[in-house]
Amino acid sequence: MNADLEALQKSNKTELERRGSIFNIGAPATEAVTIRDQIAVGFGDGTVRFFQSGSDPKTVKAHKGVVLSMTNYEDHVLTGGDDGRFLKISSDGNIDEIFNFGSKWVDCVASHKDTKVCSSGKTVYIWTKNKDKPQTLDHQSTVAGLAFDNKGKRLAVSRYGGVTVWKLNNNKWTSSNFTWKGSHGTVTFSPDTKYIVTAMQENQIHGWRINDKADLAMRGYPSKIKSFTWVGDTPYLVTSGSSDAVCWPFDGKEGPMGRKPIVVANGGKELATFVKALNGEKAVFTGFTDGSVLLAEIDESQKPIMIRSSTGSEVSTIAISSDNSQILIGDMKGSILLSSLWADN
Amino acid sequence: MENTSQVPVTVLTGFLGAGKTTLLNRILTEQHGRKYAVIVNEFGEQGIDNDLVVDADEEVFEMNNGCICCTVRGDLIRILSGLMKRADKLDAIIVETTGLADPAPVAQTFFVDQDVADRTKLDAIVTVADAVHLSSQLTEHHEAEEQIAFADVILLNKVDLVDESGLDRVKDRIKKINPFAKIINTTRCSAPLDEVVGLNAFSLDRILEVEPDFLESDHDHEHDDDVTSLSFVSDTPLDMDKFQDWFGNLLRTKGQDILRSKGILNFKGEEERYVFQGVHMLMDASPMGPWPKGKDRSSRVVFIGRDLDNMNLKEGFENCKSA
Repeated sequence: MNADLEALQKSNKTELERRGSIFNIGAPATEAVTIRDQIAVGFGDGTVRFFQSGSDPKTVKAHKGVVLSMTNYEDHVLTGGDDGRFLKISSDGNIDEIFNFGSKWVDCVASHKDTKVCSSGKTVYIWTKNKDKPQTLDHQSTVAGLAFDNKGKRLAVSRYGGVTVWKLNNNKWTSSNFTWKGSHGTVTFSPDTKYIVTAMQENQIHGWRINDKADLAMRGYPSKIKSFTWVGDTPYLVTSGSSDAVCWPFDGKEGPMGRKPIVVANGGKELATFVKALNGEKAVFTGFTDGSVLLAEIDESQKPIMIRSSTGSEVSTIAISSDNSQILIGDMKGSILLSSLWADN
Repeated sequence: MENTSQVPVTVLTGFLGAGKTTLLNRILTEQHGRKYAVIVNEFGEQGIDNDLVVDADEEVFEMNNGCICCTVRGDLIRILSGLMKRADKLDAIIVETTGLADPAPVAQTFFVDQDVADRTKLDAIVTVADAVHLSSQLTEHHEAEEQIAFADVILLNKVDLVDESGLDRVKDRIKKINPFAKIINTTRCSAPLDEVVGLNAFSLDRILEVEPDFLESDHDHEHDDDVTSLSFVSDTPLDMDKFQDWFGNLLRTKGQDILRSKGILNFKGEEERYVFQGVHMLMDASPMGPWPKGKDRSSRVVFIGRDLDNMNLKEGFENCKSA
């Protein structure tokens, strides 16, 4: 197999690095989300910084320690921190403390329309519009991932031993358990909401077809999967954790059952640490352990494009602005590249 | 290989009332000029308000990897990976376990999770023992025995409350279970912190310091403690392939009864020292630089566990000697 990355690294700066801006924040970039024409990034020093093309980032001192989790919420971001605070932050720096859990961390956050959700320990807290008091959903072990389906009707909660899917009916949450031995982390619904998939503590991802709870075990990774993203209309679930971006097809009745994944964006010795779909295209950005990023079509016959060269620090987040014009790449050393994706921008 | 960017982690065990909280309070309040994060369990006694105190739940998870005794602390994986995202660098992390906890899942977490292993290293298991009550606790609770067996350092606390012969008796009891741990006598856990945190005890240099005569004479069958230890020394270089075969098979088949294994090895044809350490079925081995000048190149292995007499350890080790 070709080591795409090694060949590409021999060239100097990439086109996007030449026309973009580089910021050295000095703390690991932990999360990034898009709000309109801005990209908000959470850092290991507790700040949330709002990046926008053509201006310096605006810095909001949000948490005392690490920004552990972040999602967008209307024109705001919701953040969870290791200082126990669950915050709503606007891009002009207004901070609204939704709840303070004290010495317990706020590990995961999620939102759908006017519903704000976070987890701390084994409990999920749900604030619906105009209600001050949250509803709580309890689990047997610490919550490790939260995801709404695209209609906001179901909330998947990953934990040790599987996933609990909560469904809202007449203002009451009812649960259904999807079981698989082991510890489950980040969770996602497929865009057609027929599947749920988790990244596990072991080097594998696990999926369930929701209607019959049929199991899908996707194994063979050399390291833990820290990131996945849905790409294209098929769609493909593209994952990190290997020397390539591993793309599992979720079309047809059986999804990836009995099929092999497509592998693109070979990183040679480097392992993929973060993947992000390019909206509306059958293409994915793949970040690696050395900080480099490749853009590849989900097509093994096509060569990937080098987006960012090596920084020596693993890629921890990638975000694309909502109009697909800007890309932001962050790494564990806190180096941020903000650049326009297209030459004419 | 030693990675200097790895944050050392001290695991603090000991029965309720032995003095763990006193020690944690000292770590958090003394002017030591270092930045320590302390992971405490929710059933602990302390109510310390400090940014660097993290509440944990002691969630012991089975790994789905076919290794039957392989359990890890799921909460620890989550918390350590969170702490590693901090902008400020920590000098050390201290993990407190509850009084009745088995130390194995905590230690195994550092072998099993790659992210944890890349960014942190298990520095030492420190057990706080109550000089007055340890003997009865050892008789009544196998957890107490395991906490002694796993320890690299034992803070024998409340020594002011026992007389000299009582102190000797409790030390003898400890040494029969684990003759390799360093015992520090304290009152109110007053040991210097640099003898507790940041020891590099797991790097195994200290194994060379243990007197082999003492070990051999110690091995008798008169005592009741079912956790014992054995140690073997060889001045003949070992054959790497033979050692790997024997040791790998040993851990696979007997790992459940072997609580700790450690060693420093002189392989034929290798200039560097090799060190290894294991917890139950899991082990980690790496070269550790050339042998110190003027010192004998002798291999030494140490086992602490149950039923060691039925594992043919001596014969197995002897068979690893190079021809």
